[in-house]
Amino acid sequence: MNRLAQAMSAAMLVGALASCENSDDARTVVVWHAYRGDEERAIERVAATFEDRHPGVRVELLAVPFEAYLSKLEAAAPHGHGPDVFIDAHTRLGAYEETNVVRALPAGIIDDDAYDAPSLDASSKAGVHFGVPLSTKCVALYTNVALLPDPPSTLEALEQVKLPAGVFPLAYEADTAYYHAAILSAFGGRILGEDGTFAFDSDSGVKSLELLQKLSRDHVIPDEPSGSLVTQLFASGNAAAVIGGPWLRADLGHAVRYRVVPLPSIAGSRMRPMLTVEAAMTTPHGTENPVALDFLRFIGSRDAAIILAETGHQVVARNDAWSDPRIAGDDALVAFHEAARDAIATPTSARMQSAWVPADDAIHKVLRGGDPRAALAESRRRFDDAVKPPPPPASPAPALVVIGALLLFGAWRIARATRMSEVRASLPAYRYVAHAFVAVVVLVVAPLVAGAATSLFAGTRDNPRYVGFANYAAILTARGGDLLGHGSFYLTLLVTVLWTVLNVVMHVSIGVLLGVLLSRPVMRLRGVYRALLVLPWAVPSYVTALAWKGMFHRQFGAVNALLGFVGVQPVSWFSKFSTALTANVTTNVWLGFPFMMVVTLGALTSISKEVLEAAEVDGCTRFQRFFSVTLPLLRPALLPAVVLGAIWTFNMFNVVFLVSGGEPDGSTDILVSDAYRWAFTRDAQYGYAAAYAVLIFGLLWLMTRASQKLTRRS
Amino acid sequence: MSTNGGDRGGKAPRWGRPAGETRKEVSTRSVRGGTQSLLMTRLATHLVVLVFVAFALYPILWVLSIALSSAGLATHGGVIPIPHGLTLDNARTVVGVGRPGGVALFARQLTSSVVVSLGTAIVGVIVATPAAYALARFRFVGARAAERGLMATQMFPAVASAVPLYLILDALHLLDTRLGLVLVYASTAVPFAIFQLRGSFETIPIDLEEAAMVDGATRFQAFVRVVLPAARPAIAVTALFCFMAAWNEFILAATLLSRESSFTLPIVLQRYVGEHDAAWGPFAAGAVLVSAPVMVFFYLVQKQLVAGLTAGGVKG
Amino acid sequence: MERGETEAPLRCEARGLEKSFGKTAVLRGVDLVVPDGGFAVLVGSSGCGKSTLLRSLAGLETVDAGTIRIAGRDVTRLPPRDRDVAMVFQSYALYPHLTVRDNLAFGLKMHGAASADIASRVREVSAMLGLDALLDRLPKELSGGQRQRVAMGRAIARRPKMFLFDEPLSNLDAALRADVRVEIRRLHDRLGATTVYVTHDQVEAMTLADTLWVMNHGKVEQSGAPLDVYEHPKTRFVATFLGSPAMNLIDGTLKTGSGGIVAEGFDVTVGVDPARFTTVAPGLDVTIGLRPHDLVVHEEGMARIGEIVIDVVEALGFETYVHGWTRQPGPTLIVRLDADHARRVRIGEHLPLSIDKAKVHLFDRTSGLALA
Repeated sequence: MNRLAQAMSAAMLVGALASCENSDDARTVVVWHAYRGDEERAIERVAATFEDRHPGVRVELLAVPFEAYLSKLEAAAPHGHGPDVFIDAHTRLGAYEETNVVRALPAGIIDDDAYDAPSLDASSKAGVHFGVPLSTKCVALYTNVALLPDPPSTLEALEQVKLPAGVFPLAYEADTAYYHAAILSAFGGRILGEDGTFAFDSDSGVKSLELLQKLSRDHVIPDEPSGSLVTQLFASGNAAAVIGGPWLRADLGHAVRYRVVPLPSIAGSRMRPMLTVEAAMTTPHGTENPVALDFLRFIGSRDAAIILAETGHQVVARNDAWSDPRIAGDDALVAFHEAARDAIATPTSARMQSAWVPADDAIHKVLRGGDPRAALAESRRRFDDAVKPPPPPASPAPALVVIGALLLFGAWRIARATRMSEVRASLPAYRYVAHAFVAVVVLVVAPLVAGAATSLFAGTRDNPRYVGFANYAAILTARGGDLLGHGSFYLTLLVTVLWTVLNVVMHVSIGVLLGVLLSRPVMRLRGVYRALLVLPWAVPSYVTALAWKGMFHRQFGAVNALLGFVGVQPVSWFSKFSTALTANVTTNVWLGFPFMMVVTLGALTSISKEVLEAAEVDGCTRFQRFFSVTLPLLRPALLPAVVLGAIWTFNMFNVVFLVSGGEPDGSTDILVSDAYRWAFTRDAQYGYAAAYAVLIFGLLWLMTRASQKLTRRS
Repeated sequence: MSTNGGDRGGKAPRWGRPAGETRKEVSTRSVRGGTQSLLMTRLATHLVVLVFVAFALYPILWVLSIALSSAGLATHGGVIPIPHGLTLDNARTVVGVGRPGGVALFARQLTSSVVVSLGTAIVGVIVATPAAYALARFRFVGARAAERGLMATQMFPAVASAVPLYLILDALHLLDTRLGLVLVYASTAVPFAIFQLRGSFETIPIDLEEAAMVDGATRFQAFVRVVLPAARPAIAVTALFCFMAAWNEFILAATLLSRESSFTLPIVLQRYVGEHDAAWGPFAAGAVLVSAPVMVFFYLVQKQLVAGLTAGGVKG
Repeated sequence: MERGETEAPLRCEARGLEKSFGKTAVLRGVDLVVPDGGFAVLVGSSGCGKSTLLRSLAGLETVDAGTIRIAGRDVTRLPPRDRDVAMVFQSYALYPHLTVRDNLAFGLKMHGAASADIASRVREVSAMLGLDALLDRLPKELSGGQRQRVAMGRAIARRPKMFLFDEPLSNLDAALRADVRVEIRRLHDRLGATTVYVTHDQVEAMTLADTLWVMNHGKVEQSGAPLDVYEHPKTRFVATFLGSPAMNLIDGTLKTGSGGIVAEGFDVTVGVDPARFTTVAPGLDVTIGLRPHDLVVHEEGMARIGEIVIDVVEALGFETYVHGWTRQPGPTLIVRLDADHARRVRIGEHLPLSIDKAKVHLFDRTSGLALA
């Protein structure tokens, strides 16, 4: 075992080291994108064509998963790493500019006349071009040819159409502001006003939400829609029309014959969808790479546009590409092009980023039966709260003094408490801990400390302002709102504690029970059982969490179907706190009990059989033996796992985010998911999020110290 | 010299009982109808375990049925997860069949995942074991602080860790290398590993090391030759944890790796999820494929979990 | 006289050992010498420091003060592996993952012996201890007695300068204990080994020792040949520690009586032999020590020392112990009776007692030191 391990590690290190960063070839352009499927093939064709036309030049394409795209760009680009060119939606342009991920295009890259004004505007800031517009994305109406031979031009007509039982006239992701914006536009409303206020809270907003409620009540649209549900309904012929974007085409394939038309009108006004423009942008170091500039020129050319449209089925932004017969013949594509004409470009301002979540909140409330006006008023309040300006900059002097004093005090205490003899006696031990110490300090502690330090700053990453403890003050005063109101630190803390307790109790009970049962030699097949019971841990949680979410769907989920077997009415899991919490807990328990089981199995090996036999002879029943002998003996080995498990549960972001998403109305959010929201959806207020993280840490620290004192561990 | 009668058979030992104490009356219940109650308990045990196995398997079966369906996410509704349009196309897509060089690329990515995860397991164990031993056996200056520090690292949610880590790895010239990723993963897994191992080391009687030292071993030799073999189950568990921590980790791998051939499998999987939509079929198929090596690894390691090697080394 | 007297060189010489754990002093200035081939037994109640002393000799504990020399070498600062000693632990501490053969060979491998030598030594030890059939078994497959022998074999295989035994018999049952005890002594003699042995069992101590070292609260209260220590205890502690049932202790005072000084307490009056107790004077508070085996039933011509009312009769077959009190409240005295007298006593009877003057022990009441 020793030799094998040595050999393997040696081989691996060599192999890993061999795969170092390759030398920079001056004739290379590194291009990143988040495309999949056809779009990926299209960009590959573009790259290949470019290489053909420019011999000696290499295009290094990297396809990045969408989930990681932002994080990757923001980590790499500002520091001179990463791509020369990258393709992304214009909506993030504002953030990219602030964080120095993108730089303005030099003159002469873009052919201004080839694009419509909206596309150019979307990919510019203050008149300066930042990206080469590639394609537009907006939603349109897909109609099932069989069910709707004449595609309706008004929503009212769609509602009236005679359809077979169980078929929805319309399906779309009704619970997101992105789609609802189209309905809102028909009433003349916007989510974000020109002046940056929450314009959703207006008469037009109320009316749009009332319409939404009506559609839901009348079962014109399905409950709890998700992208996949919408697709599935349309593909199986259970929805006559769906609102979706060009991306839907790939999923539909040839399952159903459909036609794409612009969105219908409501009461005479057109529904105008939101428009996203995908553009090719350049990083700061990319602007200095002449090959990158050439590539940008090429990708903005007509030829490239034709490739993108033909292979990638993109709704390209270049107008002159549409005269090409290959593209003009694609009806659906043309329809999207038409629809884009009518669309409203999504604002790129930071405020828009902060508007999505409150808008979503209002829509969710309304779909659960709430009053539109009240919901919008509350959402406006939340929006205002989120865009509150950061605290004024403060002088770092007092904090430096305090920290300096603390450090000196700590050093003095340490110097006083240790004696040289003790230190000398400790030297042999240090040999054992040295590499662990170094590794943990450099790779774990340092980033955490750096993160904690950002909590003293507010503003964006490239423009941070030192604000002292203002962030903490804001959190602890619930940002001036109700101490137990929505989004308040204290309320979320209560929920988090409840969440942790429920989970840990169940994890430990189930894990220990199974561990004990499966270590009895009496059990045949126990190896197989153990392997099966480890599956929840083995399968990636981002898949299974989504599977669970699907299982808790009110209409189509398996849980309600199972409950139906035993005669229980279908439960709307995510509309009440208790049931949403149950769904979250169930998922997390499912994910977490194998870990406890494995720990218990390991711990049981250290209990000598004779102790258990002695107890058995002493007349214990199985239960007595378990509680008075096995459990106390398990405690030392289990305790670290339980304590750490509790800490991890406290900070379990994944499950809460993927399963309930904080529904209903953020009530099932735990502290850490709230922190992430501040970092990623409210204009990247990293400092605030970091303050949250430090507070979470402080809480956990206090709790563990308190519990140690209570259990008085030896 | 007379020897104690043969093997221990099934007799209960008499240690721990002061001379003269009488045994409690053996419960009549277990004497009467012995085999019947044994059967009942076995049945009950199997039943309980099966319930949990069903609980564990059910969502996986859903994922599996999506993986085997040709109709995308057409399996909403119903209780029994039956695939619609049974097909292996999703699995083929994931593995790269149909794309030029796709299978080779997938193979390299699979290797990448294996290399990184095994590396994490090995590095994690190598780094954590001596430190855990020191914490269990030595009393040294800074031990308590180290313990608290390790615990503290677990409590801090890593909200903004990606960028500092990026910068640190950049400074170490380990960006975009699997070695860098292994080091990051191992370091994050080490605190828990240390606690777990320390708990186990504390249950190993110190007599063994003392005997070895009197027998001529240095402390370190005693550690390697006597303590480590006795702690095999705990080490196996630690290796398993480190492996799992690395195998399914996505965001750090995606942020720190920039060459497609060195992408680990979670990255490959997440590529099937786009901004507006996801290719559920391949995504689910990928998830199933990605879980298989873990199951294998676990099955191999779990034998270590059961062997109780400390039994017999120390009297009682 | 002691076996292996002062002509033999000292195999082990420990002087002035002091050791504290935190604030608790466990060894307070202990001297221990063992000649070549000697068998020294450290005995005392729990907490007296005997195990710490043994572990200090092994090097498992470092002493705060004092020196330890083994076979002429100063080993005080050396780690265990450089001291060339072997230890048999109370729990045997067999390496659980190694077979018996490998357990026996472990120490030799650590010291870098050639594998041929190791093999032959293992064979030799195995034959000596009857382990041949067990060589390929793991410790968990052995019985308690077998494990004990393997533990001893492991020590013997190394041919160390000194053997250290830490209560090796306490985990065996009574019958086995007696057998193994004899076996240990036999092996010691056969190997010409030097042994330091720790036990709390005085039967083991008396039967095994060449020299007995009685410890109490971190100090050696008395050392010497077993019978010597038994018959001439220097302190009250030593007197009551050795001998079972323990010596009867009666608090009393020295008085002038007919025929000289007497010690009197609780209706017991004992004559004090001036030849033995030269430094005593009347008025001194003393503790009178009378061993149950020395007390006899009073008969004509003997000096009567007192009378007990019989409370408990323990008939063991070959002898009988009778418990009684002289006065209530007062100490219980235990008297050993031979079979003859045993038959005749009843509970509630008065039993007059007598004792040979030479067997009377007197201790200073405050210091506990023997007055002879």
